[in-house]
Amino acid sequence: MSGRVAGLAALLVVLVLTCGLSIVLGARDVSWHTLWSAFTAYDDHDTAQRVLREMRIPRTLLGLVVGAALGVAGSLLQGLTRNPLADPGIMGINAGAALAVVSGVMLLGVGSGPASVWLAFLGAAAATAAVYGIASLGRDGATPVKLALAGAALTAGMSAVTTGIVMTHIEALNALRFWQVGSLAGRYLPVFWQVVWFIAGALVVSLVAGRLLNGLALGEDVARGLGMRVGLVRAVLFATVALLCGAATAACGPIVFVGLVVPHVARMLCGPDYRWIVPYSMVIAPVLLLAADVIGRLALGRGELQVGVVLGVLGAPVFVGLVRYRGVAEL
Amino acid sequence: MRTLLALAALVLVAACGSSEGGADKAAVKEGRWSYVSGNGETVKVDHTPVRIIAHSDEAAALMSYGIKPVGIFGNEKPAENRNLKDHDLDGIAVLGTAWGEVDVEKAAALNPDLIVTDWWPAEKAYGGFENGVKAKSKKLADLAPVIGGSQGKSLVETIAYYEGLAASLGADVAQGADEKEAFEAAVARFRKATAAKPGLTVMAMSPADDMLYVGNPPYSPELMDFGKWGLKVLAPKSPDPSFPYWENLSWEKADSYQPDLVLMDDRAWEQSQKIAAKQPTWKSIRAVAAGAVVPWPAYWIHTYASYAEQLDELAAAIENARADIGS
Amino acid sequence: MTSYAVLRRRLRARAAGVTAALAALVLALFVVTLSVGSYRVPLDDVVVSVLHLGENPAVDFVVNGLRMPTALAAVFAGLALGLAGTIFQQLLGNPLASPDFVGVSEGAGLAAVAGLTVFHVSGAPISLLAFGGAMTSAALIYLLAWKDGITGYRFILIGIGVSAFFVALTGWVVARSEDWEARSAMTWLTGSVGQAGHGEIRALVVTVLLAIPAAVVLRRQLGVLALGDDAARALGARLELARLVLLGLAILLVAVATAAVGPVMFVALVAGPIAARLLGPAPGLLAAGLAGAVVMLTADLIAQHLLPASLPTGVVTGAVGAPYLVWLLATSNRKS
Repeated sequence: MSGRVAGLAALLVVLVLTCGLSIVLGARDVSWHTLWSAFTAYDDHDTAQRVLREMRIPRTLLGLVVGAALGVAGSLLQGLTRNPLADPGIMGINAGAALAVVSGVMLLGVGSGPASVWLAFLGAAAATAAVYGIASLGRDGATPVKLALAGAALTAGMSAVTTGIVMTHIEALNALRFWQVGSLAGRYLPVFWQVVWFIAGALVVSLVAGRLLNGLALGEDVARGLGMRVGLVRAVLFATVALLCGAATAACGPIVFVGLVVPHVARMLCGPDYRWIVPYSMVIAPVLLLAADVIGRLALGRGELQVGVVLGVLGAPVFVGLVRYRGVAEL
Repeated sequence: MRTLLALAALVLVAACGSSEGGADKAAVKEGRWSYVSGNGETVKVDHTPVRIIAHSDEAAALMSYGIKPVGIFGNEKPAENRNLKDHDLDGIAVLGTAWGEVDVEKAAALNPDLIVTDWWPAEKAYGGFENGVKAKSKKLADLAPVIGGSQGKSLVETIAYYEGLAASLGADVAQGADEKEAFEAAVARFRKATAAKPGLTVMAMSPADDMLYVGNPPYSPELMDFGKWGLKVLAPKSPDPSFPYWENLSWEKADSYQPDLVLMDDRAWEQSQKIAAKQPTWKSIRAVAAGAVVPWPAYWIHTYASYAEQLDELAAAIENARADIGS
Repeated sequence: MTSYAVLRRRLRARAAGVTAALAALVLALFVVTLSVGSYRVPLDDVVVSVLHLGENPAVDFVVNGLRMPTALAAVFAGLALGLAGTIFQQLLGNPLASPDFVGVSEGAGLAAVAGLTVFHVSGAPISLLAFGGAMTSAALIYLLAWKDGITGYRFILIGIGVSAFFVALTGWVVARSEDWEARSAMTWLTGSVGQAGHGEIRALVVTVLLAIPAAVVLRRQLGVLALGDDAARALGARLELARLVLLGLAILLVAVATAAVGPVMFVALVAGPIAARLLGPAPGLLAAGLAGAVVMLTADLIAQHLLPASLPTGVVTGAVGAPYLVWLLATSNRKS
């Protein structure tokens, strides 16, 4: 127990350091001293301080909440589906949210601002239901293989429609790359405030849900035997996942692999207890997302690489490794 | 199998013949026509061209001398193009409303005998045939010879080029004397304004979501003109080597340059203002904070009349500008 | 015995009939592609123009100069993908094991984009690069999925992972390239038959015309239907070699098609099953290829003419192919 607390504390230190890097590294060189004075003696006219306070810190905050949302969504999904390959990106949930936002904004003319979060939530929920429903057909239920395949199929289809919609709206073209792979760039405080309460609420629910997930992990019958209302619990938790993914996607576009990788790292560090996996994921995921974002800022030398691309390059090998070494395909 | 072979044979016959076709030979009129294009090459047609397809801004230049094209293509809808706003577009086919896209099939139906579009020396390409334009759109050049003035070292030269081109196409350019006079007057006022503010510095900027683009004077004919007429247009330190029109400046470094007056790309003026206002560092440019931002007529002017109008506005802005904002 | 022979002959006649019908449909769609557009050319004028029976410069330019490259690219890329997809599916014994789903196309796409933007080459070198990319990707998937043999689902899941990896790397390469407009890059990444350059089309046409007879002959030699790994081991070296050559041919076909039209999703996946529906299980490769061409031509006609704005072909194949894939999953689950 105390080992897990210490581990969490150590991860928090890593997270703080990552945030520090995310705040300090970028196109403009800033010193730690500037960072210090940005808080102790903020000078509105000092551009370096402004860059820190109004660009890097909001971006880092956004990375924090979006990362936490995706990591926790991944761990909830893996617990709910008892499936090591469950990931909001791979299962097509983020692509569904993106499609809903793009359709709402461009076809119906609704959904900018907070409404886009609700749209994204609906899209995420619909995609979750669709993928899970398709994968559940047949006697053996929603196996990891079928979930991944159904997710890949739906992702391909929904991304094609998203691309089609955006390409027919020339003025929205600037946004196209953003809706194809996620990015933290150019979105400042307003976007953060749009999603933070949704995500915070869903995170609280998730933290409380650890014991329920442990129950579900024992199998449906056992959980029912323990007096759990399995159907209700599942419905609430799936809705939480949809809210987390919807809010994250509304803010940053579809981001894959965070939700896949992070719960596995958490499980390696803290064991199979969801009461710990969820908070561990909540801390590890922003570290991964922010680190990938910093790499993206520095990788090109000119301009930026979207964090979604960096995560694809980093995350795909992990996915392959999981399939190969965790014997997933035999499940 | 036999059906497939038959199909393959048909398709092969087709493939062999597909490189032919091309320029349409309309009935020969009068004698040969030739004119030197902005890239230095002489364009020859066996008659004086009458069925012209032009890029919208260049089309406006020709129309101001009474030469009406049969088709136009542009980067926006004709209604959004300010060069075209005073012209009657009846009977002119619109072949493209976005950069890089031309409906060549529609163009072919027009039987054009000349394509008029600016030559961009930095890209070594005519407008509409640059890198990144769809291969299919570029086949416009197969329909008729392409000609156009160079977006080179002076906008006055570009405008004069189209005056000359229109004359060679049979227009009476003497009608434009009044507009030319107004232009000369505007230049005189501009020179006077800059002479009165010898220390005033300006920079040309174009805000976008991911970058602040800073205009590089040697690649902008109007900025070169302004320089010649006494305005100190500062050059960015490290323009993009492969696209030297601009330096790509991260928004985090928006305060790198501090001119007294910002000329902001006016091609999508309202959009640009919105985009810039979202950026926390836009106002770290002191001229922006002081409200010293005026439109930069970027790359679109093609007539004496519109140049005169823009120069007058700029002269007024310079007369009112403070030379002590930047550094 | 005689009744068996009669049945066989009947099946053969049916196969030949269906294949001929597919070929006729391809030809018809090909002619329609040459005929429709903002400059409408009547069908008979199309035939006159293509066969050089008469002279009408404007029509010749539109039909032969503008539309022919698109139509050729659609027919031959469709043939190539249909063949390749079916070879993959039959050799690996899994309807999901198509090269566009498991990352072979994405490997080819990465190499082709790198060739276009980093090395600034075009034409045959692009096709060659794409072949290298597709081979690398296929080898990578094979090695990573190998564990005392190749089981279908591990192969496919690893393929999905490899595919995501190559897609991300392609995004990286596109972001690095400065002279590419976002829009044209996106068109390329979605796959579009209208973008093919002359050199790439020539490489595609020549490769497909050479590969089809070779593939059909090899496939006949193999005879047996879907080959599991155990079956392959029992088959002896000569057939194993034929199997490898056939896979290599399929990868080559994917590469030349991707180099010409970009990664158009799902054509390779659906062509074989469509042919199977018409012909019964294990359809001929030729029929599958023709089915691929039908899908590609139809998708391009829809993308270019039936939608409010002209879109990349891959948008249509992606939007239509995904539900099919879902249906495939749903029904194959029920059986298992």
